[in-house]
Amino acid sequence: MKKLANLLETKQVSSQEIVEHYLGEITRQEPMLNAFITVDQEGALTQAQAADQRRAENRPLSPWDGIPIAIKDNISTRGLNTTCASRFLANYRPLFDATVVRYLKDAGLPILGKTNLDEFAMGSSTEYSAYGVTCNPHDRSRVSGGSSGGSAAAVAAGEIPWSLGSDTGGSIRQPASFCGVVGLKPTYGWVSRYGLVALAPSLDQIGPLATSVEDTAILFSLLAGADPKDASSAAAQTFEVPAWDERCIKGLKIGVPEEFFGKGLHPEVEQAVRRGLRALEEQGAVLVPISLSTNEYAIDTYLTLVTAEASSSLARYDGVRYGERVGAQDSNTMFAKSRAAGFGPEVKRRIILGTYVLSASHYEAYYEQAQRVRTLIRQDVLEAFRHVDVIITPTTPTAAFRIGAKQSPLEMYLSDLFTAMANLSGIPALSVPCGKDSKGLPLGMQIMGKHFSEALLFRVGHFVEKTVGIRGCCR
Amino acid sequence: MIDRGEVIRMARLARLELSEAEIAQYQMDLTSFLISGEKLQKVDVSRVEGTSHAVPVTHELRKDEVGPSLPQDAVLLAGPKVQDGFFQVPRIVEAQE
Repeated sequence: MKKLANLLETKQVSSQEIVEHYLGEITRQEPMLNAFITVDQEGALTQAQAADQRRAENRPLSPWDGIPIAIKDNISTRGLNTTCASRFLANYRPLFDATVVRYLKDAGLPILGKTNLDEFAMGSSTEYSAYGVTCNPHDRSRVSGGSSGGSAAAVAAGEIPWSLGSDTGGSIRQPASFCGVVGLKPTYGWVSRYGLVALAPSLDQIGPLATSVEDTAILFSLLAGADPKDASSAAAQTFEVPAWDERCIKGLKIGVPEEFFGKGLHPEVEQAVRRGLRALEEQGAVLVPISLSTNEYAIDTYLTLVTAEASSSLARYDGVRYGERVGAQDSNTMFAKSRAAGFGPEVKRRIILGTYVLSASHYEAYYEQAQRVRTLIRQDVLEAFRHVDVIITPTTPTAAFRIGAKQSPLEMYLSDLFTAMANLSGIPALSVPCGKDSKGLPLGMQIMGKHFSEALLFRVGHFVEKTVGIRGCCR
Repeated sequence: MIDRGEVIRMARLARLELSEAEIAQYQMDLTSFLISGEKLQKVDVSRVEGTSHAVPVTHELRKDEVGPSLPQDAVLLAGPKVQDGFFQVPRIVEAQE
């Protein structure tokens, strides 16, 4: 991105040319990929021309002024459709920008479009999108991952240089891993959630995806900061892109949790991650075997909390103020019919499960129990960080699976096996490509750190990328 | 197996109309979800409180000052059915005799 910024700075290329290049890629590749739900050609070109005008007058808004971006379609964009990949919001146009979108506009980034996801971010493959699956650019018979599959595939295919996703249980990191790009789930509270359509507010975070660690860090620096419109972001500060100094690897204590290298992990994924670990060790890092035994409970705890919070978050879709409405004689029937028509099968499933765990007779046994187990998981993670600086695991148990391969909901939920822990404990986690398997599919390494330790994660990720990574888009 | 009536009760609580096929499907899904979650029930949590937010934050409230609001006509544009500056809904209060 620094190269592109330099070309813009020295007027060797215009923002309009850059935007036209990516629009061309979108036109060429979208029939095969389906990474976008909405492409805003006119809006992006207008924003690009304004950026060029600012450059001509030597008053760019930032070094990245004029470099386009794509936004996951559950993040509100003023006047631009925000569907959440749901029929319910097919024609919904927000009246306001999410805080992160405002930050990007303040930095001069033209918004090229809105990317595909599982409906309301519920899923791990984009197969639950009402607008069709997003194919993996490395193998179009496979999923791009999810729920931020469109954001990851678009970056991997070179349809856009960088993008925003959201991550509730792995929804940035898993598709980043499947598509061979870099993705960050930031520390809970470091990025404003204002304007992110809620799935599970105690777990959701917006984060960046890009082809390199450096670009991911640059984009994160545009997103981080406190926001009076999001009370849970109150503790946050701004973020500076770190200097890429490899000396931080020497003596770095890397926790390697045995539970993440056992049953269910594909041997080729293990090999790739272990190769990355060896490279770090050769650079002077110390590998420390650790145990995160509570990960055994992570998926079930996560599912209980996410379905509970989702059923509550989705109560607002009633067909009154926006969205689709099916008419009826009385209000309750109108709500029930509108919701039946607007929501897809996975959303309905989670509403039923969530309503069950929150209902008066089951609340204590399920919801409250899960909240308490969450405390044990969080304690387990924080205890580990008393002895190590970062924890490294595979991002996912396998490479990208085939479209249609996961038959049962529980099988799909296991995609988050290695990623949900970071959301439950609020820590940051970065997925970095660490090689490919024998079929040529990308594999990802997950680097987790203490709260607000993103700079260290980026430094470690930068080294991994340089030694065992795959860089650039997949073409 | 979770009772079929339980799924119908949940759907009613959630204001969600389900088809017969959906009721049968979610009956199975709810059952397997609860079986999978059984191991959570056995965890000893007697010594901990629940976590609702992973990073301890004191929610700092902003000043209670009046700022600009969204214009009424713009908000109404999104409504599926509006009339005379209001969202129109079916009657919810019985008419008084």
